[in-house]
Amino acid sequence: MIVTAIVLLAVAGGCFLYRVLRGPSIPDRVVALDGVLSVVVSGIIVAAAKANSDITLATVLVVSLVGFVGTVALGRFVERRGG
Amino acid sequence: MNVVAGIFLIVGSLLTMIGGIGVVRFSDLMSRVHAAAKAPTLGLLLVAIGAAIEIGSGKAVVTLLLVVVLQLLTSPVATHVLARASYGQVDIELDGGDDLAQHFAEQRAEEAAAKRVEKGADQGAEPRRDQGDV
Repeated sequence: MIVTAIVLLAVAGGCFLYRVLRGPSIPDRVVALDGVLSVVVSGIIVAAAKANSDITLATVLVVSLVGFVGTVALGRFVERRGG
Repeated sequence: MNVVAGIFLIVGSLLTMIGGIGVVRFSDLMSRVHAAAKAPTLGLLLVAIGAAIEIGSGKAVVTLLLVVVLQLLTSPVATHVLARASYGQVDIELDGGDDLAQHFAEQRAEEAAAKRVEKGADQGAEPRRDQGDV
């Protein structure tokens, strides 16, 4: 079951990374990077469930908040510089 | 491995994957924002529920609850900031009226009116005081 979840997350990460590489405009890449971070967060949680331990869960908080700040900062950058 | 927890983990990962497929297949920035904002958020919620059932310790439940609440609060804000910032910078297909353009036009008109009133008050102040002295 864990293996199925990890495979699905890997496919999701591949899709988001494809859009990061191909995205015609900067906002496309930022949106896709947000998705990559979402996949990373889900992956850490799934790994914690597999190991049945809660010591890595504090990392999830940090990653998701850094992702929020990064997306907002890149949004301001796009607003100033243009896509 | 708890079966219920496993189903939650798989469904959550599936939703994240659906978001990824949407980001690859949709043709337009706003459609991609729509795909990337909502599906992974719900997927993270389900994955967190599954992990909380599987791990079961109080610390894990509290941390995952905090993660989910913060994600539900910050994800719409980040997406909205990004979508609004890229308005006018990127080609966007519209399928209706352009409400944001109307809003910007109204805002500009209000700012212009406020500036005019300010200027009028500056110029109007001197003569009024003269009249008062006379």
